Amino acid sequence: MDSTDLALRAEGICFAYRGEEWVLKDISLSVPRGKATMIMGPSGSGKTTLMKVLAGILDPQRGRVEVLNHEIGKRTRRSLYSLIGYIPQQLGLVRNLTSLENVLMGALGRCGHGKVMLGLFPHHEIEQAQAALDLMGISDKSSEKVFRLSGGQRQRVAIARTLLQRPRVVLADEFVSDLDLDLASEILRLMRQVAEREQMTFIANMHEPQLVREFADQVLLLDHGELVRGLPRHGLQGQPSAEVFQ
Amino acid sequence: MRTDLFVMALVAILLSIVLGQLGFFDAARLMKGLRNMGTLTLEMLPPDASVLPVAGKALWETVQMSFAGTMLGFLVSLPLSILGTRHLFSAPLSNLSRLIAAGIRTVPVLLWAILFVILVGLGPLAGTLGVAAYTVGYLAKIYAELFEGTDPEIVEAVRGTGASRFHLVRFVVFPEGANAILTQLLFMLEYNIRASSILGFVGAGGVGFVMQVYLQTLEYRRLATVLLLILLVVLMMDGFGAWLRKRFLLVPQS
Repeated sequence: MDSTDLALRAEGICFAYRGEEWVLKDISLSVPRGKATMIMGPSGSGKTTLMKVLAGILDPQRGRVEVLNHEIGKRTRRSLYSLIGYIPQQLGLVRNLTSLENVLMGALGRCGHGKVMLGLFPHHEIEQAQAALDLMGISDKSSEKVFRLSGGQRQRVAIARTLLQRPRVVLADEFVSDLDLDLASEILRLMRQVAEREQMTFIANMHEPQLVREFADQVLLLDHGELVRGLPRHGLQGQPSAEVFQ
Repeated sequence: MRTDLFVMALVAILLSIVLGQLGFFDAARLMKGLRNMGTLTLEMLPPDASVLPVAGKALWETVQMSFAGTMLGFLVSLPLSILGTRHLFSAPLSNLSRLIAAGIRTVPVLLWAILFVILVGLGPLAGTLGVAAYTVGYLAKIYAELFEGTDPEIVEAVRGTGASRFHLVRFVVFPEGANAILTQLLFMLEYNIRASSILGFVGAGGVGFVMQVYLQTLEYRRLATVLLLILLVVLMMDGFGAWLRKRFLLVPQS
């Protein structure tokens, strides 16, 4: 595949937490632009660590990650907010702020330190944040504190925040794992719509094979910190989860 | 289990030794103390209400000193504690900030009051500055630890939107710590009202001076009135704190 068709490329990634064994062992992967790539693997296989390395939160000891031809790392992460959006497993929402305020966090990279520090965001950003909440179907919850929202509503707020950030690549770490299957499917459908509309590339850790079958264009399997194989979505057709991991 | 018993026995033995050295096993002395307490209590009754205007005015000054000192200390402690938060600022900067806070904390509030009496002269200004200094040392440490405990996942998620560390402080660290910030501030205010009651002993203003005079002239009935007034103010502060918490503190999230 031509490098211009790639949204993300990782080469020879090795990562270990301080003084511990390798969590990721020589991982190389490519993610095509505008597609949904899902990473599967049993618990403890290194999925979350891989996601953090790809998002630039953790620097690998070996190897490199490029997003749209920009090298990713802890140092460059803040300046690359227009390239990478990250939704952690517990969503990373500020619980004592309202839904709207949380969505507006997505605009911080574009806002300076003037009025914003007083909580006064530019009018057009507020309008776009409200539009994002509207798109997620929770505009009526915009002034509700996040800790009062249900799990599904929080997920929508997190997606709306990413939408306002407008990154080219969205990395999500098992962000629907706490939801029941129907709700998780609905949230992923929304995410997919958003990704298609905004031409975003979507990379997610996913535990549930049924959701992967439904939403992934490409599937990567991780086991004990190694990439076992990559396979297209139809490679999972009809396979129960136990077989997928074998 | 055996280790637990051993540790408990060791603590009990150590405590006995220390209590013995401090005179706690001197029964005659303790009995004398109890008799004196009875006498003192009788001499305090009934409280002398004629000193209410004087004591009330002095206590009002103490409340003013506590409030102003607590708020000034709070305002200084916030930036100091933010600088002391290790995942936001570099290790040398956060260590320096923590060292400053520890240095301030080492000096007890009474000593701060004496220092400020020397610097700015007798009166409530010295007391207020003393309370403020002590508050800075205490709150800067508590808040730095609180801010450091902010959920790293939230910090990472918001940092990834391009937020600077000042954005993170404003939109993540402060809102996430809001409950504890307010709780500790109220605790500090209550504590300072009690603590600053004695600052008048060293000429730093407030009700302490009045208490000292009544103690030295053995006017215990008047002293009882002052103590009851302080109790009333502390109870009112407790009530106000409870109302404030109920009104402003957020329901804990799941």
